[in-house]
Amino acid sequence: MHELSVAIEICHLAERSAGAAGPAAVRVVAVEMGDDAGLEPANLSFCLETLLAAPPFGMARPLLQRVPGHDLRVAWLEVDDGRPDN
Amino acid sequence: MAVRTIEVRERVMARNDEIAAEVRARLAACGVVALNLVSSPGSGKTLLLERTLAALGPEFGIAVVTGDVQTQNDADRLAAHTERLVQAVVTGGACHLDASQVMAALDAIDLKEIQLLIIENVGNLVCPAAWDLGETAKVVLFSTTEGEDKPLKYPTMFRNARYAVITKVDLLPHLSYDVDLALANARAVNPNLRFFQTSATTGEGLEEWFTFLRGQVGIPVAR
Repeated sequence: MHELSVAIEICHLAERSAGAAGPAAVRVVAVEMGDDAGLEPANLSFCLETLLAAPPFGMARPLLQRVPGHDLRVAWLEVDDGRPDN
Repeated sequence: MAVRTIEVRERVMARNDEIAAEVRARLAACGVVALNLVSSPGSGKTLLLERTLAALGPEFGIAVVTGDVQTQNDADRLAAHTERLVQAVVTGGACHLDASQVMAALDAIDLKEIQLLIIENVGNLVCPAAWDLGETAKVVLFSTTEGEDKPLKYPTMFRNARYAVITKVDLLPHLSYDVDLALANARAVNPNLRFFQTSATTGEGLEEWFTFLRGQVGIPVAR
């Protein structure tokens, strides 16, 4: 249950961060997860895969990156909205 | 078709922490102390709260926000002991309360009428440790039937708490529970913890807990 709650929070953050591109354009959600963040990586991945395959997303997948410490961050998004990279 | 990268670098808990800061400011503006009671299920949070409301409810204003995965049972139990508002939050599956739920619950409470807000979190020693609710302090409960090693098994919760209550001490004659070992384990995780030992059944230790709460409402909100 905990990983699902955290995954929902990650999706909210990804949705806000996608901005004008919108969540449907998101292809990758990169998450930095601290080794001491108190989360089970496989469980979190599973929850994210499920949520990111459904609206308002649909074509996104998670990329979980393990880092030292307690932090849990959305590091970056990869979006495909037809606009060139800056 | 072009794929591009959007840098985010934002903590996942950032939004919750922002709302928690708003909760904290709102409580501080009214001089309300907020204690977040956390424990595993069945450690005795609700019964301790019932005794607390019965004893201190007539002395000063106490409001309660109680969270459960399902049912309003705890809120119904507590409402029988106080005329003050009891806000029930049914999380519908989530394993903890978050700051937005507490913020919403505050909308139904007249903060000028209370000095103490007690948040009874969902019974769970893992997840509630990660979610700041805007409380003044976390109070972790663990009962004599749970084993002395609870603090070692769930260190984050005990590290994040300022106070710890060992509950159900009336059962000690029937158990092999070693109170000194439990205290040592908790201190090993968090040397700054202040302890209480209570039995909500016999009343043992409750007066010290009540005295502590009376003191809390007399001091400024700080974190």
